[in-house]
Amino acid sequence: MSQAPAPAAPPAPERPLPTPTRESQTYWDGMREGRFLLQYCSSCGRVRHYPRPVCPHCFSMESEFREAPLGGSLHAWTVCHHPFNFFFKASAPYIVALVDMDAGVRVNAQLHGIPESELKIGRRVKLGFEPVNKEVTLPVFVAE
Amino acid sequence: MVHPLRDKAAVSGIGETAYTRGTTKSGLALQLEASLKALDDAGIHPRDVDGVIPYFPGGAIAEDFIANLGLKDLTLSAFIPMGGATCTAAIQMAAMAVTTGVCKHVLISVGRTGYSGSRVSTRLQQFPVFAQAAEFEAPIGMFAPAQLYAQGARRHMELYGTTARQFAEVAVVTRQHAILNGNVVMNKPLTVEDHHASRMISDPFRLFDCSLESDGGAAVIVSATERAKDLRKPLVTIAGVAEGHPDSPASIAQRPDILEFGLVKSAPRAYAMAGVGPKDIDVAEIYDCFTFTVIRQLEILGFCKTGEGGPFVMDGRIALGGELPINTHGGLLSQGHVVGLNHVIELTRQLRGEAGKAQVKDAETGLVTGYGDMGDGSIAILRRAA
Repeated sequence: MSQAPAPAAPPAPERPLPTPTRESQTYWDGMREGRFLLQYCSSCGRVRHYPRPVCPHCFSMESEFREAPLGGSLHAWTVCHHPFNFFFKASAPYIVALVDMDAGVRVNAQLHGIPESELKIGRRVKLGFEPVNKEVTLPVFVAE
Repeated sequence: MVHPLRDKAAVSGIGETAYTRGTTKSGLALQLEASLKALDDAGIHPRDVDGVIPYFPGGAIAEDFIANLGLKDLTLSAFIPMGGATCTAAIQMAAMAVTTGVCKHVLISVGRTGYSGSRVSTRLQQFPVFAQAAEFEAPIGMFAPAQLYAQGARRHMELYGTTARQFAEVAVVTRQHAILNGNVVMNKPLTVEDHHASRMISDPFRLFDCSLESDGGAAVIVSATERAKDLRKPLVTIAGVAEGHPDSPASIAQRPDILEFGLVKSAPRAYAMAGVGPKDIDVAEIYDCFTFTVIRQLEILGFCKTGEGGPFVMDGRIALGGELPINTHGGLLSQGHVVGLNHVIELTRQLRGEAGKAQVKDAETGLVTGYGDMGDGSIAILRRAA
């Protein structure tokens, strides 16, 4: 009796990656260089995130990206147990922290090195940079 | 001045398929089956439908209704891409269409193969509003609603002391109501212990805090009150209806207050249109994609203050026989997930006096909400004609 051939191993799940837009390309370029670049209105000077074409305060379409401070405080978080995308199965459970950056915007990123039991609103954290391949670096939070 | 839409349109027909996990039918077939039932319920000939608002993206377009129902002169075809807020927002568009004479009868329908078709993370990639989440949040491991909405739930717990026990109460009461309905996916009793023992999905949401992935179809007909009076069923009018969009609508992360939904804007408008307030509501069908979402909407709707939603749901207050019975059909948590059109159907049944074992005695005025697409919020206040 012949044996059924072993089933082929399923392809390894791939990490979802950002597809930068014309508006956000500079932000992602900054990430790759280890710089936290935010978009500031050239007319009224206010910051906006995520990157977009028009300042919602003064309606200017002129803007510039500048390096922003990396500190922030915890606004909210979740601990992801169920991997809705199979790429994250191996690393679950992981913490995703929503942080009020000192620069005046919020950033969502995984939080590394701080146990769940030590999380509370207002806890200080710092944005770091985690390269995932040659082109893409993602933000990550660590203890300040 | 009385709002020109107040009570001028009515929910004239309702229909739904069996709610199941597993079906051989397409989303389109489910929508058409429910639509034919709704037309029969109203006593309207299918060819008299002249407006259609199918759920987007639900596997059907207006052309399908023309082809299948033989519609001769469709005067309105629209999609409302507001996720879970779509169906109740569609009530507003339909009411505008029949009140102005653009349409006689507008058909709102949902057909969903959430269990046997593609699952939530795949479906959401079709939603334009999820583009920012796909770019900035999916790469860090956060994309599904259970993850995106969990941070708000956690913040509410930290700020106000809201508890998992209170989340469980919403799940348990909703299940009790589902069992009375019968046409439901989840028909076994649920205890607080069952809830607490269910696996963690995205903290603080456990499995039984999350709505179902199910198959089913639902449909509603909206007609001008003047026409609906002469139709088959007791008259249920649309007293107030509104949609609302939160600030930073496509990114919860950047929203000034992550606990402010579109309902913050739409609820006051709907109450004013109807000329009623929270105290006038006899029964409420609250969009329940998650248990916490119910708790927060009860606050926004003015049944209690911000921060008091957790204690509010305890002690039988939201159960049948309580002060404010909610989700008397079992909701998205236990009946089935047809994007809340089942909530509109149940409210209509309650106000007609057709809700069977789950009937709220003497229900005259009720409300239904929709919530979705990162926090769009719609609301309709319906009432039984005097």
